[in-house]
Amino acid sequence: MRRVANIFRVLFQKNKLDEDLDAELQFYYAMLVDRYVGAGMEREQARRAARLEMGRIETIKENTREIRTGAGLETVMQDFRYAVRTLRKYPAFSAIAILTLALGLGVNTAIFSIVDAVLLKPLPYERPERLALVWSDFEKTAAYRAPTSATILSEIKHRSSLLEDVAAIWPTVGTFIGEEDAEQIRVGQVTTNFFTTLGARPLLGRGFVAEEEHGGRAAMILTDRLWRRRFGGDPNILGKKVPFQGADYTVVGVLAPHFRLVLPASIASDVEAFTPFPNDIYKGPRTLYFLRLVARMKPGVRAEQAQREMTEIARQIRETYSEYHAENLKLSIVSMHRDAVRDIRPALIALFAGAGFVMLICCVNVANLLLARASERRKEVALRSAIGASRTRILRQLLTEGAMICAIAGTIGLTIGWGALRGLPRLQPEALARGGEIGLNWTVLVFVAAVSIGSVLLFGLVPSIESAKWDLIATLREAGKTSRTPVRRGVRAALIVAEVTFGFILVVGAGLMMRTLEKIEQVRPGFESDRVLTFSMNIPFGRFKSDEAIYSFVREWDSAIAALPGVAAVGAASHLPLDNYPNWYSPFRPEGVSETQGAALLADYRSVTPGFFQAMGTRLIEGRFFDETDRAGARQVVIVDDLLASTIADSRSAIGKRIESEHITDRGFTPVWSEVVGVVEHVRVHSLSKKIRPEIYIPFEQSPRSPLSYAVYARVDPLTLAGPIRDLLRQRNRSVAISKVRPMEEYVEQAEAPASFTALMAGIFGGLALLLAAIGIYGVTYCTVSRRMPEMGIRMALGASAGDVKRMVLKEGLTLTALGLIFGIGGALAISRQLQDLIYGISTVDPVTYIAAILVIPAAALIGCWKPASKAAGANPVDVIRIE
Amino acid sequence: MAESAEILQGTLELLILRTLALQPMHGLGVSDRIKQVTHGVFVVKPGSLFPALHRLEQAGAIEGRWGESENKRRAKYYRLTRAGRVRLASEKRNWERVFGAVNLLLEAEL
Repeated sequence: MRRVANIFRVLFQKNKLDEDLDAELQFYYAMLVDRYVGAGMEREQARRAARLEMGRIETIKENTREIRTGAGLETVMQDFRYAVRTLRKYPAFSAIAILTLALGLGVNTAIFSIVDAVLLKPLPYERPERLALVWSDFEKTAAYRAPTSATILSEIKHRSSLLEDVAAIWPTVGTFIGEEDAEQIRVGQVTTNFFTTLGARPLLGRGFVAEEEHGGRAAMILTDRLWRRRFGGDPNILGKKVPFQGADYTVVGVLAPHFRLVLPASIASDVEAFTPFPNDIYKGPRTLYFLRLVARMKPGVRAEQAQREMTEIARQIRETYSEYHAENLKLSIVSMHRDAVRDIRPALIALFAGAGFVMLICCVNVANLLLARASERRKEVALRSAIGASRTRILRQLLTEGAMICAIAGTIGLTIGWGALRGLPRLQPEALARGGEIGLNWTVLVFVAAVSIGSVLLFGLVPSIESAKWDLIATLREAGKTSRTPVRRGVRAALIVAEVTFGFILVVGAGLMMRTLEKIEQVRPGFESDRVLTFSMNIPFGRFKSDEAIYSFVREWDSAIAALPGVAAVGAASHLPLDNYPNWYSPFRPEGVSETQGAALLADYRSVTPGFFQAMGTRLIEGRFFDETDRAGARQVVIVDDLLASTIADSRSAIGKRIESEHITDRGFTPVWSEVVGVVEHVRVHSLSKKIRPEIYIPFEQSPRSPLSYAVYARVDPLTLAGPIRDLLRQRNRSVAISKVRPMEEYVEQAEAPASFTALMAGIFGGLALLLAAIGIYGVTYCTVSRRMPEMGIRMALGASAGDVKRMVLKEGLTLTALGLIFGIGGALAISRQLQDLIYGISTVDPVTYIAAILVIPAAALIGCWKPASKAAGANPVDVIRIE
Repeated sequence: MAESAEILQGTLELLILRTLALQPMHGLGVSDRIKQVTHGVFVVKPGSLFPALHRLEQAGAIEGRWGESENKRRAKYYRLTRAGRVRLASEKRNWERVFGAVNLLLEAEL
């Protein structure tokens, strides 16, 4: 240890030591000079004599330095060479130990990289810990984390003393209008203080200023991506006017390439440009909930303080406005980071824990291997200490060996992890809100180093230290004999039990995730995604002469697509199911319910063209679909889903019932009494696993909205229709742009992505756990059997058959496995509640999963024990006698 | 003055340990002392003295501490450690054995 410390001293305090040596030599020289002067020499002469006597100072220094470093480094090199030699001497041991550790480290590298990027790294804004989101909560309708209204925004702004500022964003779409290249993009309409509140400054130009509020001046800030893609990275873009949404917008800023809009996954993260709200949002209806609020808390404000204030503000707002009182508005304020990752957090934590269990199994395996090796090397170690190696020296050699295993395994593990991460982007669900930030970095490297060193120290060195403690004489005397070490056998039994326990928990976890995915895939979402092509089309209403011109454009466009060869049905809706376009949901009121009560009933609203349901394959339960007669000015009609039908009609037919629903008229969003003409099945628009709200469909011409999302049901491969549709549009209208051309299946896959990601990762962990546990059990049993071969021989000499011996070994292994299973079941049950958020359609104690795991684990154990048992059965009594 | 002799590396370390066994000394003191006691047979030059001192310090046989010399200069004084004493004793025995053996060999009638 002392030498190791010395090396550090030499390496890190080199200057200090050099100064010491200099001073020492200086002193020597000065004393010599004094002495010669004392003997009667001139000072100058004395100096020369002293220099002569000392010889070359530099040579002395160099020789001394060499001794200091040389001694330390030489022992290290010796230990290193010795370690390499031993590792090569036991290639099977080394390979298994290194590969096992590398697999565990690889899995942990991959998962930790994700955890680090998504959960640990601060958000990419200034002082991100002070950022929070403010949501409306409506308990009556169980609508939590809902957007707020402009009135609420201004009330919070005026009443809060703990918030530095509050800003709002509404993600929508807009179209760049050009002769040839009309393009529809996602745009974030924001309050002008949005970027200052967020703490993100444009790289070029500036943020918005107060005069640009409410369309005072049409200004735009571009993301780096849009700036490069559409404007070729034009360095003189600032101040230029771009035609957008029927107006000319002046570009005032370009954001940095690393800028990201980190908002909850349900809000578009692919916003490419920002503009201030073009109209006065404070003049809209008070119950129009569409704003996402980003708040910056003052320094030192704690989350609970902010929440208390928000609760109080909500109370004051309820007292001031009857609408909010009727809806019993509550406000909640949550850390922006926590909110952004809330969907993926449980899955990541579960996977991180799973990776930890895999690592534990790896460590158990390595511990066992080292233990086995330590017993094999007892004689060697004893001998070495007999010929004078100090205990610390022997320990240091074992440590060097451990360090080498770590280093090699760590490197391979990092490579595996890195490879896995590179494969990940294809699997990454959008819910990984910050997926783009995943990568290997210092935090990850430090983590991997710490885990690998920790595991080798903990599970590798403990047996080594124990081996160093062994009694020299006893060991040498015992050499060659069967060792009687019941304690050691106890340790090994514990290792097997631990492996089975961890393995079982992982297999159960994997099973639950895979069953969940299976259930999600079986769900009927209320539509058919097969052979449906979708695209989004922005219709610049302002560019049409009249409303009638818009309607006839849409009608003709629908029939033009329907006439394309290969098209079976076509229709459009304001919102596609499973798309992350900002939702449209509002209260509705059945007949006979008073206005205050009605505010508690919320539904998702969709404006649809007549063919939409047929194109999506949504089934009609009763009544009729919309048709050509449902025009503007005609009788106001709606189609509702079965959830809503049951609220308004109990068990009777809902057809002919009247509800007050929200329509889009010349006066904006207005409540209108309309008649239910059809009931369709519920469509899972937000998540495959949840029915969130009932749905109300309104004919497009009675509630026109842009953009429209088209669904085209094809008789052919849907993607082959993309080209003809684009051509068709170019012939008809050049100021209309389409985007997001993709098969409906893609939305479904994306919605399944979190579950398939979790299931895939958990499946890999489960598989690894089984494999590693089998290897581990094999290793432990094999070692035990090898050392007990004489015993086996004697048993057979005393009349046991080969079958008896084999059965005995298998029985021992399986008994331990059974014990591990019991612990495993206990452990799995104990953590099953933590998995509640991750599973769907099954119970956390899903019998299918548990039975499968109970069957598969002993099978793995049996495979692990089989060969050692056969070896035991092959014991030859004669050999035993010869050895003894 | 007698002719000075070459010193083997191991011998020099033994001489240094022996010298420091009396009292802590600085480098020049050690070399003066060796010269004086051996009547000038062994003259230890700085070029071999300092590496030897540092080798011994490295091995933990002696330890150096900064102090003030007789003429008020800052000097590094070396002191024998416990390990150094053990080593001195064993090297002394070793030396006596080797010396005795060499003597026997030299005096033997061949």
